[in-house]
Amino acid sequence: MSSPASRYTLRQSVALVWRTLRSMRTALVLLGLLALASAVGSLLPQIPNSPERVGAYLVDHPFWGQLFLRGGFFDVFGSWWFSLVTALLFVSLVACLIPRSRAMLRAIRQRPVQAKELEALPHHVAFEVAVPPEVAVERAQRVLRRRMYRVAAAPDGRGVAAEKGVLRETGSLTFHWAFLLLLIAVVIGKGTGYTGHATIVEGQTWTDAAFNYDGDLRTGRFSSGQHTGAGIHLIDFEDRFRTSGIPMDFASEVELLDANGNPVRRDEVRINHPVGFDGLRIFQYGFGWAPIVVVRGGGATLSDGPVVMVQDAGADGNQLAAPGEGFVKLPTLRPQYAISLELIPDSTAFIQSLISGVPQPMTQVRAPFMRYTLWQGRILDPSLNGLDTRLMHKVSTGIVGRGWTVDVEHGCVVSGTSGALPKGLARTVCPAGAPAPALTLSFPELRQYTRLQVSKDPTVPFVLGAAILILLGLVAAMYSSRRKVWVRAEAREEGTVLQVGGYALQRKDRFEEEFPKLVADLRAATGGGRREREREEAAAR
Amino acid sequence: MTAARLSSDLFNAALFAYIAAMVLSFAYLAFRKRPFHVAALTVGWIGVSANIGSIVARGVAAHRTPWGNMYEFSSLLACLVVLAYLVLVEGRYKVQTVGGFVFAFAIFTMALATSFFYVGPTDLLPALNSYWRQIHVTSMIVATSLLATGCVFTILYLVKVRSERREVSVLRSQDPPPILGGSVDADAPPDYVPGADEPVGAATSPAPRRGLPPSATLDRLAYRFIQFGFPIWTFGVMCGAIWAQQTWGRYWGWDPKETWSFITWVIFACYLHARATAGWRGTKAAGIALVGFVSLFVTYYAVNLWIAGLHTYAK
Repeated sequence: MSSPASRYTLRQSVALVWRTLRSMRTALVLLGLLALASAVGSLLPQIPNSPERVGAYLVDHPFWGQLFLRGGFFDVFGSWWFSLVTALLFVSLVACLIPRSRAMLRAIRQRPVQAKELEALPHHVAFEVAVPPEVAVERAQRVLRRRMYRVAAAPDGRGVAAEKGVLRETGSLTFHWAFLLLLIAVVIGKGTGYTGHATIVEGQTWTDAAFNYDGDLRTGRFSSGQHTGAGIHLIDFEDRFRTSGIPMDFASEVELLDANGNPVRRDEVRINHPVGFDGLRIFQYGFGWAPIVVVRGGGATLSDGPVVMVQDAGADGNQLAAPGEGFVKLPTLRPQYAISLELIPDSTAFIQSLISGVPQPMTQVRAPFMRYTLWQGRILDPSLNGLDTRLMHKVSTGIVGRGWTVDVEHGCVVSGTSGALPKGLARTVCPAGAPAPALTLSFPELRQYTRLQVSKDPTVPFVLGAAILILLGLVAAMYSSRRKVWVRAEAREEGTVLQVGGYALQRKDRFEEEFPKLVADLRAATGGGRREREREEAAAR
Repeated sequence: MTAARLSSDLFNAALFAYIAAMVLSFAYLAFRKRPFHVAALTVGWIGVSANIGSIVARGVAAHRTPWGNMYEFSSLLACLVVLAYLVLVEGRYKVQTVGGFVFAFAIFTMALATSFFYVGPTDLLPALNSYWRQIHVTSMIVATSLLATGCVFTILYLVKVRSERREVSVLRSQDPPPILGGSVDADAPPDYVPGADEPVGAATSPAPRRGLPPSATLDRLAYRFIQFGFPIWTFGVMCGAIWAQQTWGRYWGWDPKETWSFITWVIFACYLHARATAGWRGTKAAGIALVGFVSLFVTYYAVNLWIAGLHTYAK
């Protein structure tokens, strides 16, 4: 009842903590906690994966939401307590591995130890052979070596000690050390790497620099913010679909440029076929339409270039059936103007959707056109991701087909033929003799853009290497077993009595089959034995 | 008859064969009449053949390897579990009384597949079109079937341990049986027969061996299957990571399916460690294996059904 814990000296307390960390029970509890934390992380929405669902949760359950948010439950895998459990597991693993590794190195250097009293072993056989003891011992060594045993001869030359299965402990240690290596490589890789998305229109070149990413560049904690400056020039983007709208393949044909802008090589980025370049990994991520839009006014070109269109998957989730949305902003004009555009790449499918009421995927280019809306007022947000129309008013709307030029202010067509455009689409030609339009919009060309994911993770090869080691170690540890075998030779009359004994530390049933085969080999190598005098003592221990 | 039609007919045939095999196996467990066992094995093999035929026909109908969605996974899982039982448990370990439970598991899997997951043979999304898919999915299903079989044995082990403990406690509570075979005589006659002075007709009399194999056998079987399945599961998760690296540019993203496969891995790692730890082996380790079983099922079914994530295409 006495002896309170306070009696421990500091040294003893440290030793106690160390011992506790080393114990298997601690490791088991920590592994359990890791599993539990991960389960929480999969059941609650996580900020890195689905921030919008976290937001919805906070709105729906304000109390619990706030509690979970404070506790880091919405970012379990980035939370301090998840890191703490992992770190403790690290320490526990190292504390356990160091003494085990030392013991194993000692064991490897040590020669198998001789044994007496082979009769007491679980497997034991004795038989007579015709050759003298020295010869019998030498031949027994050869047999055991051939069976991949580590062999040591007794100092008196009358015995052999042999063992097999260092692979078990080696494998187990390899597995655990490799696991440690894997965790370290993952932490360093995530910490120093970055990943983001690049949008490139056909014919354009993109450069790896922080401000060229689409706003969602994720950098690691210890990232130096250095980018490679490598360039990606999109030559062509190709998508293939089944008629049902099921995608089959997406490919970006690119030319890769070094930091000075010199072309290095051409390559193709496809789904499941990323391209590696200059330490970067480039993955096919998305794609969309990018019509070239030219706006002229007052004799000058105000805007000329591709407009990246975003297709919003509607309530039915059919993104391909949705029109593309994009904006042109003209902040230099007074008053300011903005044009919102809605692209229909495939007017045939579009008309079919209208008639049937079922949204048809628009996967090919057939008489593309855009609906435009001209806004006048004050532009609140200069970015091209959306248009805030609170301080603007609508001036006109209309459509512009490919190859047309329209007078945006009056909503009439200056030049261009309706071509393959479906009849029934309102097309007002500007009256002849009207004054020259103040603001024109042209749609000369429809291109595509590709969205590539660009990542840098310098430790991926190490992670892979560690994973391979984990697997090799695991298989070695699970499927090998330690076995020990001894042979003693005693001279008797004109021949020798050979005693063979052995046991297995694991997989005993397997050894039960192996031992008689080993004995048969020994018997054959030493010139057989007189069967009538042998005693078999496969003891049942 | 089209390949798709043939596939679903054979699927139903396999399901019915498994049901028959299950009934016959339980009959053998209860009555220990040889013909039940022979019949159960025969029907079981017929079921497996039909199951394999169904999977092959499905592959022909879809022009790809037939493990691209939950329906196909489930069919393959049932097939592998029954095969593992017939080849390993019956063939190698010669344990003959537990087949009914294995067939029950296969039936459960297949019934879930037809009632919740059925889809016609179709193409896959391009993201799924990788040879890593073949390796990843194949090894995950093989590992799942092995771990699930191991867990069936764990449950049986726990049941058997309970009944064995009850037997022991019944034995202890009874009066020691009277010695009926005669007394021990110090001056034994020369024609002494060893064993004659053993109690006769005591409670240790070998009752007709009904019921499950001894708990040690069940425990060993459970361990063998989990030990076999664990490295394959590890390999499968790693292949998944490689595939994810190729497709999404990151090898690990804590997607629910990834997370749960990790949880399952951790729990079975716990089980293997617990078996090597004094004070944890036996029923405690078996308890951990049961938690692993639950986690395996969450990984396999629940994630796809209830938790949104990147693996939703495998619905």
